[in-house]
Amino acid sequence: MAAAMELRCWGGDWGLPSVHTESLIVLAYAKFSGAKVTVSPIDWTWRTLTGTVPELLCGDVAVQEPTQILNFLRKQRFNADYELSARQGADTMAYIALLEERLRPALLHSFWVDAENYVNLTRPWFASRSPFPLNFFVPGRLASIALSRILLTKGEAPLHRITEVEGKLYSDAKECLNLLSYRLGTATYFFGNSPTSLDAFVFGFLAPLYKAGLPSSPLQSHLQQLHNLTSFCDNILALYFNSEHPCPPPPVQESMDANLQKLTQLVNKESNLIEKMDDNLRSSPQHKPHRAEPKPSLASEKNFTPA
Amino acid sequence: MSLAAEAFVSQMAAAEPWPESATLYQPLKEDQILLSDCASSLAVQAYLRMCGLPVQVVCKSNAEYMSPSGKIPFIHVGNQVVSELGPIVQFTKAKGNSLSDGLDDVQRAEMKAYMELVNNMLLTAELYIQWCDDATAAEISRPRYSSPYSWPLSNILAYQKQWEVRRKMNAIGWGGKTLEQVYEDVTQCCQALSQRLGTQPFFFNKQPTELDALVFGHLFTILTTRLTSTELAERIKSYSNLLSFCRRIEQTYFEDKSS
Repeated sequence: MAAAMELRCWGGDWGLPSVHTESLIVLAYAKFSGAKVTVSPIDWTWRTLTGTVPELLCGDVAVQEPTQILNFLRKQRFNADYELSARQGADTMAYIALLEERLRPALLHSFWVDAENYVNLTRPWFASRSPFPLNFFVPGRLASIALSRILLTKGEAPLHRITEVEGKLYSDAKECLNLLSYRLGTATYFFGNSPTSLDAFVFGFLAPLYKAGLPSSPLQSHLQQLHNLTSFCDNILALYFNSEHPCPPPPVQESMDANLQKLTQLVNKESNLIEKMDDNLRSSPQHKPHRAEPKPSLASEKNFTPA
Repeated sequence: MSLAAEAFVSQMAAAEPWPESATLYQPLKEDQILLSDCASSLAVQAYLRMCGLPVQVVCKSNAEYMSPSGKIPFIHVGNQVVSELGPIVQFTKAKGNSLSDGLDDVQRAEMKAYMELVNNMLLTAELYIQWCDDATAAEISRPRYSSPYSWPLSNILAYQKQWEVRRKMNAIGWGGKTLEQVYEDVTQCCQALSQRLGTQPFFFNKQPTELDALVFGHLFTILTTRLTSTELAERIKSYSNLLSFCRRIEQTYFEDKSS
């Protein structure tokens, strides 16, 4: 087996092992494939400025970017995808492209460009995790990288103004969430009974949006209506990132895993049900029942049916 | 296009039928157009032919500056001007012509995902090779792109365009890639498309969709365009089902019309 692997990434908060999408993808994949990775957060070090995250260090080798790191892990025989058919491998690539093109710009906008979220959540968080005097500098730098990325990929020549593309960004992202929700359906994972790299990517993109306390985000409220996607995130967090079970079940014990997953699903469903009943009890008759429809997600999905 | 404008256009579009005088604008075919623009333009033409909507192709040297989004191609139908494949698909749908109505929700998700794969990989790779590979940029892209203009404007515009594309590549993390890595990405993308297509005539069996138009536009253009090296086309040629897919669409939608 290879030398010990160390992963540099942004630290966790909001009930997540990391708040950073790319770091989260690698962390999730490492758990899924059973790779033993030592996590060393870059918080409060000068690497917040100089380092590229996530970065996997294995002996003398340093690998950056989620796709490269996942390939590296596969070469080390930590493969969560070996049960996939070629066709499913192709689907994985396609859905990752969908996430990158449709969801990423809106995510960057929600966290880094939207003034209210940036001032109240993102800037304070990243400033508090950077050492003095970098705390004055790091958040602004990350924000300007995010803004220029949105403008360069989605902006329209010749003016490249952000206000013109905002509406388009969010409608694209909501459509992407709907498509993912259709694709996942009632399944636990995207392919079969065990999580694969596509699950790691979807989790990395969705979990921060789901868990962060964004003061204003239409995208977040849209995601919260898609119950299968939120329980997908909850399920992975409970199974693989639960602090009570620091060692996740390795992929070998698949049958046990499947049972455990079913159990978690059941528990999740039940707790959802209880929550709903609770809500119904709480909303007195003179209040408008704000969850009148059994599945508000379906109703809103129809509005965003892809063109 | 902004959302309000988009909603307005689709409202307006529903009102009128498809006119005979619809035109598609693209840069000059012989001297100016570049691989990526040519591919996007061909994808839109294939899509409109699949829908059975007649369109006249007009080449203008300033097509890029005429387009509302600054991107090639755009169509001029009645009172409306719509650019790029995505909005054009929405536009024709508002007029009652849609190729993807027969698909269910999961298939439609899959179709959109593969379309983004083509945009994310093939289109980006084309842009990379055109503007970030120094040999191609110097021998083909800059001279062709600036061919309608005289010195010094030609140089200014060409270098401005190159600078813009390179900034984009840096922003999405392609700036540090080598040419070999880009070819490898293209291979992976083609492998995925080839797997998805399998032995079916179209991606969703009997009926062509906008995905088929997009894939055809890019693959056919790459196969038929001469670049400084044939490496890009060679990568596609190893997938025989993609080749026969291109030939099939060319025969069905492009040769009948001309004969």
